[in-house]
Parts: sequence; structure tokens; C-alpha cells
Amino acid sequence: MQNTSLPLSTSPLEETPLLELRGISKHFTGVQALDDVSIQLYAGEVHMLLGENGAGKSTLMKILCGAYRADAGDFYWQGKPVRIEGPADAQRLGIAVIFQEFTLVPHLSVAQNIFLGREPRGRFPGTVNHGEMRRRAQEIMGQLGMSLDPDTEVAQLGVAQQQLVEIAKAMSQHARILVLDEPTASLSDNETEKLFRMIGQLKQQGVAMVYISHRMAEVFSMGDRITVLRDGKWVGSRMPGDSDPDQLVSLMVGRKVDMTYAREHCKAPGEVALRLQGVTARTGIHDIHLEVRAGEIVGLAGLVGSGRTEVARSIFGADPIESGRVEILGRLQSGGPIMARRLGAALIPESRKSQGLALIRSVSENLVLASLARLFPRGWFVPARQSQESLQLIERLRIATTGPQQLVQFLSGGNQQKVVIGKWLSAQSSLFIFDEPTRGIDVGAKAEIFALIDGLVKKGAAVLMISSELSEIVHVCDRTYVMREGRIAGHLNREQMSEEAILTLGMHHG
Amino acid sequence: MSDSLRPSAINSQQGPAALWGALPDSMQSVALRLAALAILCLLLSLASEAFFTTSNILNVLRQAALLFLLASGLTLVILTAGLDLSVGANVALSACLAATLIKGTGSIAIGVVAGLSSGLLIGIANGLLITWVRIPPFIATYGMLWILHGITYWFMKGETIHGFPPAFRAIGSGYWLGIPVPVYLMGVFLLIGLVFAQRTRWGQEIYAVGANPEAARLSGVPVKSRLVLVYAVSGAMAGLASLIFLARLNSAEGDIGESLTLPAIAAVLIGGTSLFGGVGSMLGTLIGALILTLVLNGMNLLAINANWQPVVTGVIVVLAVFFDNLTRKGDKR
Amino acid sequence: MAEPLLNLSAGADTWLRRVRTSGSSSGALMTLIGLCVVFSWITDTFLTSANLVNIATQSTVLLLIALPMTLIIMTEGLDLSIGAVLTVTNVVLAMVAVQTGGVWWALLAALSVGAVFGLVNGSLVARLGIPPFVATLGTLGVAQGLALVLTDGQSVVGIPESVQYFYSGTLAGVPLPLWIAALTYLVFHGVLYHTRFGAYIFALGGNREALSLAGVRTQVYWIAVYIVGGVMAGLAALVLTARISSGHPTAALGMEFDAIAAVALGGTSFEKGKGWLLGTLLGVLAVGVMRNGLNQVGVNSAVQVSAIGFLVIFALMIDAYRGRRA
Repeated sequence: MQNTSLPLSTSPLEETPLLELRGISKHFTGVQALDDVSIQLYAGEVHMLLGENGAGKSTLMKILCGAYRADAGDFYWQGKPVRIEGPADAQRLGIAVIFQEFTLVPHLSVAQNIFLGREPRGRFPGTVNHGEMRRRAQEIMGQLGMSLDPDTEVAQLGVAQQQLVEIAKAMSQHARILVLDEPTASLSDNETEKLFRMIGQLKQQGVAMVYISHRMAEVFSMGDRITVLRDGKWVGSRMPGDSDPDQLVSLMVGRKVDMTYAREHCKAPGEVALRLQGVTARTGIHDIHLEVRAGEIVGLAGLVGSGRTEVARSIFGADPIESGRVEILGRLQSGGPIMARRLGAALIPESRKSQGLALIRSVSENLVLASLARLFPRGWFVPARQSQESLQLIERLRIATTGPQQLVQFLSGGNQQKVVIGKWLSAQSSLFIFDEPTRGIDVGAKAEIFALIDGLVKKGAAVLMISSELSEIVHVCDRTYVMREGRIAGHLNREQMSEEAILTLGMHHG
Repeated sequence: MSDSLRPSAINSQQGPAALWGALPDSMQSVALRLAALAILCLLLSLASEAFFTTSNILNVLRQAALLFLLASGLTLVILTAGLDLSVGANVALSACLAATLIKGTGSIAIGVVAGLSSGLLIGIANGLLITWVRIPPFIATYGMLWILHGITYWFMKGETIHGFPPAFRAIGSGYWLGIPVPVYLMGVFLLIGLVFAQRTRWGQEIYAVGANPEAARLSGVPVKSRLVLVYAVSGAMAGLASLIFLARLNSAEGDIGESLTLPAIAAVLIGGTSLFGGVGSMLGTLIGALILTLVLNGMNLLAINANWQPVVTGVIVVLAVFFDNLTRKGDKR
Repeated sequence: MAEPLLNLSAGADTWLRRVRTSGSSSGALMTLIGLCVVFSWITDTFLTSANLVNIATQSTVLLLIALPMTLIIMTEGLDLSIGAVLTVTNVVLAMVAVQTGGVWWALLAALSVGAVFGLVNGSLVARLGIPPFVATLGTLGVAQGLALVLTDGQSVVGIPESVQYFYSGTLAGVPLPLWIAALTYLVFHGVLYHTRFGAYIFALGGNREALSLAGVRTQVYWIAVYIVGGVMAGLAALVLTARISSGHPTAALGMEFDAIAAVALGGTSFEKGKGWLLGTLLGVLAVGVMRNGLNQVGVNSAVQVSAIGFLVIFALMIDAYRGRRA
């Protein structure tokens, strides 16, 4: 059934997995996040979990720690069936997840954080035995090879050390299974070394670890076993010795069932609509060079956290840049969103609900939000004019709504996105920056959105499209840049573009 | 599935229910409050014979007018999800300033200009503290409240100024065609407020900023300018209110106006403007001012100890916020 | 290993560490010293031992409400009603003291009334999710009105000796209020740095989700913080009533401003879960010095408030500037 590619004696330490998940499925409205996934975690092993954005890794994590409840499937602890239906179950078994948002209290000490809610009692009721707490914290940290002073205030620690404290906290609760979500994402080489040493300690203590990573080097140096997920399904497990990066990449990538959209690609791009030269910003992007011409849909690919949204925001002036130049339609963009809009740029943000729309306002009010100055130059607001404009847009974009007065919060995701696009059409923009345009939108609507975007460039606009769905980039874009850890890792033109190529550029090969 | 592209099910109710459902939320909100107002009037006229007399009604209108003028600027501020706790102190300082100048120069015009300017400048200061120094609105205006309070006392040196020219007093206590002058002002500013909020570009931008400031910013709306604008207006209206207050009381001393902040906020909240921003109307505030004034008037007519009034107002504020919380929590996600 | 009764060395260690790491630590001390220098230069009646003792004694009431205010602000909250609640408890204490002729029933009554207001505040904030400044603004109105209703606008006089003793009495040569202040400070320090409750206060402001993820019943502790505020208002009423020898319906109105100013000056910022009790103490003294000094120069009480307001805004601006640099 599963794991047919693995030899029979799978683990150097034990034959029965510490925790086995069989046939786990999880469904959210409109999307099957996990479909019949099975995985075995052995004590003392680092099990690497690979998959591109949306493959189901974080859903699996959340099910492991009881934050989500699986729709179907079984759990076996050392061969015996158990239930994980809530955080308490997971805690009892000893499963701990180290998320990227830490659960630390900034102005308490390391020891206090480790024992939050479980402080050793002092002499009087309600008091805490600090000495005991400090001693036990030091003990735990010692076992993990950490040498932090337990009285240090957590806010004083760097991200790397905070992560170590999180791990110590988990271990203080006798975690047997530790899930690490891209733990080295914001660590320096030195700090990564420390983390790896600690992982070594944990292995010796028989802790089973699930390690999510996008860095091939780590996968092969730290992993004892590798599992690849794709589109919520298990696609393969390998031992590092029996595999190589290319093989893993081709497992991760694949054709999506719903990607039937095709378009006529740009043959003769026009003038340069957007140019970035050496753009660096505090948000973590460095030395960005890129160019988009009229008539093109240029992709900006890369893994989550590689800085794509930050580039988009810097172009639009939503975040300030430290150095470099942004030129929109030949003119220097040196201000904020107001200037960007005036220069003809449009930003369709990643989270349309919190950044693109005023949910409690109507469709028409949202549609004219960026063109108020244009439509009502002298200041007088004429509802009829707003009506006229919004009706035109509703028709042109085929927005499904009961009327311009309907509150935008009641529209479906696809139609909400159309409203955001419509807003910028009303502002007569000619450079559109899309950040995940089809996120949270179902199949039928996706095709429509792409048709819309195609319509824009056919009329001479320029589009920069950020997407985490590789097949979207490959099918829709004329060419693409790939980002990695805040920089442009490479550029692929039409012939070079493939999902493998994009993923390879996007992952850390060093 | 193309399910997502089909419009949501059309309301298939019949008759009055359909009519009600067809009204936009804002009108429903106003209509509800009008009904509450009517019921309140009914109850009060039953509870006390002194209620439905000409003099009492006119008195109520005069009080409500003053409250409305103060609350109208505050409405704009609260629409942006902000708050101006300094309006009462603003009234105090502006009134004392105007009073001093009227007495000193003998010119009503100078006093009026001074009062209005003072209110406006304080409002702008609030706006700058909030947008430029980035102090959260309630802290900034709370601090401003005390600063103004102190300045007023220092300015007045503990003295009282009274006795103003009749022409000036008419603004506050006079009548024209049988109706108190402040009521005309209320009408005028209701109109101006309505036009500004519903029929100007700036009004639309203010609603947008309140509904989602980040989306507004990313759509090119000058959020900071609009914020300074609303605080400036709130201050200016406080300046206007101070003149009327002064004219009616016919005297000025350090602590006048202190008791106006809470009722002003209450009026705005009762009127349906949400503390979370983006929802509300001038008309609602007018009705809110009327409702609050009627409640307090009723308490007077029923000879309830006047000291209970701030208690009642406080409870009303808390209740209004509580209901606001409930309905908005339902909307948001 | 056994935990000593008062783990002074550990406490001192952590204290020193906090002083070193707390950003605005030097700020509060410098402000205080700066003010002292300025005022001793302006007037020679300032730097006398009698005057300094006077400042300390008068600052007791403020300290008693500024300490709980520190805790409340640490949980990202605010209690605008504490001045009004102190007024009500003052009135209640005075009335009961006059009725019973003694101090203990009166104190009990004051503490209870304060606790009730604290419970109301806490419930509004923690259970109903009403923003603290609105909730406490509402209770401010209620408390203010209540004080007026109870006294019908008149002062309550005829306070028995036993009450007045709590301001005028001395113990080993030190005025009683200072003993009360010192004891209260020690208790707050102990609670904040040595109990679970204290640690949870940091968490309530710093990372509330972490606390509930750790299985702690956050609401209970959150409400408790506001109840502490109310109860302290009751205790402060004892010293206040003793000091003004009456129960007055406007006795402490506006004192919340001094309390917030003291906390802000002391370096407890309005950001998450960071607090410094010693800073509040210094802030209280700074406010006390400010008022005393300005009094000596003949500046009106209400104007003093402006001055304090400016001082606080100035401090906040410096904070913001420093914060942006960091």
C-alpha cells in the first residue's frame, strides 16, 4: 500500500513507529487539504516533510497537535490505536509543535516562559519557587545543550534563541514528538549549527521529529527519512541515501487537475512599465532588479517568505525603500500609495479582506474607492455618478451581486476579487501588481480572473503576478522571476519556464 | 463550481417585511431610533403632565441642539474609529477665551472669532498628535483634555466672567419666530453635516477610512489628512458649541463644559455610530442627542436627583458599546 | 532546595537586571532629579527636609492607586474610573466612620465598594470585550454620580480621631502613611515578581494567547487585576479621608490622570506586558515634586495638571523617538 519504496527494516532504532498516521483526510470548504495521507514517525528519527505551498504540510501539523480534527483516518501510538481530537490529547501523548509565531511572553524570563502555567509552588500559596524553577530550567536546557541564563528576559533574545526556548518549553512537558516548521528560516549559519546540535541531542533522547523544510542541504544532511506531499496526497517517501534533490523536486511538482486555462502569450512587449534597480528595503528584500513591459504578464515566484509580497509593497509605496529606484511608467516612484496610484500603478493585495476591501461598505463604494478624486474632482459627491461607474464595472467584470448596494462582505471570494480589480480599472491604472490573485477562489472563478488579467494586458497594461501555485505561473505568465530569501534568484523566459525549474531556483541549494 | 458566481438568494418575503429588508442598513438603523424616540416621547407624556408643554419641549430642543452641535463633529471622529475625549475641555477653554475678549474689547465679533479659532486649533493639535506623533486617539485626546483644563484655569485665575451683551446672549437663550435660536443652528449644521458626510468626496473617504484604514491607504486615500480633518472639525464644532453655551449661561468660569464630554459621546453612540468605525450618520446623532436629552429631561420632571444623571449617562454609554460590540462581532469574520 | 522567606538576593538580582534592561529606567530617575534641581533652584523652601517629607506623605494616596494602575496598564488596559472610585470610597468611608465612630467598619465598607467597582470594570473588559477606556469611562460617570447622590453635594464632616490617625500619626518617627506606602509597595513587588498572578499579568499584556494555550484561565486573572485596582482605591480612601478630614464628593476626581502620568513617566509604556514598579514609584514622586514645587511658586492646581500633561507628552514623544530608532 504505502511506502513501497522503503526497505523492510525501516528504522535503526525501533520496528514499531512511535506514532503512525493512517489514511488521514481533512476537508475545508471547497478544498481537500489532506487526502488519505499516511506517515510513520520513529523515535530518534528526523522525518523531513517536503511539499510546495499548499501541499498540506501545515494542515498535517495542525492535526498532529490537535488544533484541527481529522475527518477520517487513524492514529497509532506504538502500535496501539489512540485518538487525537484536541490539544489536550496531543499534549498527553507528548506531541509538541514549534510554530513560527512563538508562544512566549516577551517580558518574562526564560524559566518563567518554560514553566508558564506549571510553575513550581513556593512556600506561600500562590507564590512561585523561583530557585526550583531556575534549576529545572537549567537542567532541561543542559540536556539540550543550551547554555542560556534562565533569568534572561525573553524579549532580549534573538529569534534563534527564542526558538530554542520554545523547544525547551516543549521538552519540559516531556514531548516525545516534536514538529518543527522551517526552524532555520530566520537563523544565521552559526545559530543553525546550534539548532542542529540540539536536534542531535533530542535524537539521542529518542524524540521523534517532523521537520518541515525547503532547504535541500538540510533535508539531506539532517533527515533520516523524507516524505513528500503534493496536493494533499502522499506521493512518496525516501531515505536520503536512496535519493537526490532532483528526484524530490519532481515528486513535489505535478500537474494540477484544474489548470486547464491557456492563453495566448505576449509576442511583442511594449514600453517598460515597471523597472526596479537595486531596490533594498527594511522588510528584508535586497538588491532587486526587475522589469515589466506593457502587454506582458510577468511572474514573481518563490516560496512563502521569499520576499515577493515585500517587493510588491515596496513598488507600491506601502513600505518605504532604503535604497534603489522604482520607476513606474518611466517616472520615479518616490512616495507612498497615493503617488503610486497617480503614476498609474495598482496593487491587488494578498489578503483582499483586510487590505483590499472595506467589507462593511457596498460594492459600489468599494469600486470607486481609488477613483474618488477622478470622478468627483470638485469635491461634490454625486451618488448617480458612483452608481453609473459601478454598474459599468459590474457588467464589464461580470461581478455576481444582487446590486451595487450589496455589502461586499456577502460576495464570494471570486467576486470580491473582481471588485478589487474593478476598483483599479476605475482608477484607470496601467500597471497591475497581483499578489496571489486566485487565493481562496474556486476553480470556475479562477479561470475568469485569469481571463480578466489577460484582457488587461491585451489592452496594453502591464502585469506583475505573484503566485504560489507553480502551474499558474507556468501557464499564465510570459516569463517569470524567481525569488529566494529576499533576493532575485533567477529569471526564466517562456522556453525555460517549468514547475521544476521554478522550484529548483526557489529552494536553497547551498 | 460556478456556485460562487451566482448572486445570493433573493429575499422572497412579502409585504412589509420585504419593504423593510429592502432598506439599506443605515436607514433601518435611523428608523429604529426614530421609533425609540417616539416611544420615549409617549412614555414621558404619560408619566408627567409637564412634559408636553410648549416651554418644556422648546427647552428640550434647546438643550438637544447644544448637545448635537458638539456631537456632530464627534460623529466624524468616531466614524474613523477614533475618539475625542477633549471636547468638553475644548468648550471650556474656547468659551473662556471668547468671554474674556468680548468683555475686554467690547466686540462680539472678536469674541466669536476667537472662540471658533480656539476650538479649531485645538482640534488640529489633536489631529497632529494622532497622525504625526502617532499617539493613540484616546490617549492623545485624554492628555489634551487635562492640558486644556489646566490652561483654562490658569487663564481664568479662578475668576468668573459674566454679563454679556444681549445681542450675544440671544445666540444661546434667544428666540426667533418662537423657536430658540440654537435650534436653527442645529438645523443648519444638521444639513451641513449631512451634506458633508453623504455628498462630498471627503465624507466618503472618511467612511472608508473608518471601515478599513489600511485598505483605504492602499487605495490611495490620504488617510492622515482626513484624520486631521475630522479632529479639526470636532474641535471647531466644540468652539461653536462653546459660544452657545456661553451665551446661554451668561457666565464663564474654569470648569464649564466639563460635564459635556460624556453626554456628547453618548449621543453619538445612541445614534448608531459604531466605535469600530465606518458606520453611522449625522441624522442618527441628532436622534441620539434628542433621546439622551429627553431621558435627562424626564428625570428632571420626575424630580429624580440630578446627581443621578452622570450615572445614567455612563450606563447608557456602556450599554451602547455592548450592543455595538455584539452586532459588529457578528459582522467581522 | 528550600525557598527562603523573602528571597532578597534573587529579587535584587532580577531587579538589577530589569533596571539595566528597562529602556526608560534612567529616564524616570533623571526626570525626578531634574525636577528637584529645577525647583530647588527656583525656590529655597523646596529642598528642606520638612518639605521633602511632606511631598512623600502627600504622595502616598497617589502611590496607592498608581501601583494597581501599573498592573492594569501592563495588561494593555486602563482604568479611567479610579479617581472617581476613590472619591466614592472616600465618601463611603467617611459616612460609615461618622456613623460607627470607628475606623474598621468604614475601611471594610470602602474596600468592598472599591472591589465591586473593580469587578464591574474587570467584567466589562474581560468578559464583554469592551475596550478598557470606554468601559472605565462609563464607570467613571457612574462613580462620580454616585458620590454626588450619596452626599447630596455636601461634605461629610466629623471624622473620628481613629481615622485621622492614619494620616497624622507616626510610628518610630516616620509618618504612618509612609509605612502604608512602603508596605504596599513591598506587597506589590512581591506579588508581581514572586507569584504566579504576577507572572500572568505580564502574560496578559505580552501574549494572552500563550497564557490560555498554557491552560490558564485568563479571564479570572484579568478581572482580578481590575479588582485589585478597586480594592486599592478603598485603601487609598483611608489615607485620603484622614488627610482631608472629610468625605467630599469631588475629593479625588481627576486623580486618575496623575496616576496614569506617574505610570507613564515611570517607564511603563502602553505596549505589551512591560512594567516597572520602581518606575511608578519614581513617577509618583516626580508628580509629587511637580505639584509641590508649582504650589510653592504659586501656580494654580489646575494649571499644574497642564504642566504634568506636557511632561508626559514630552516623555511619550521621546519614547516614540527612541522606539523608532531602535
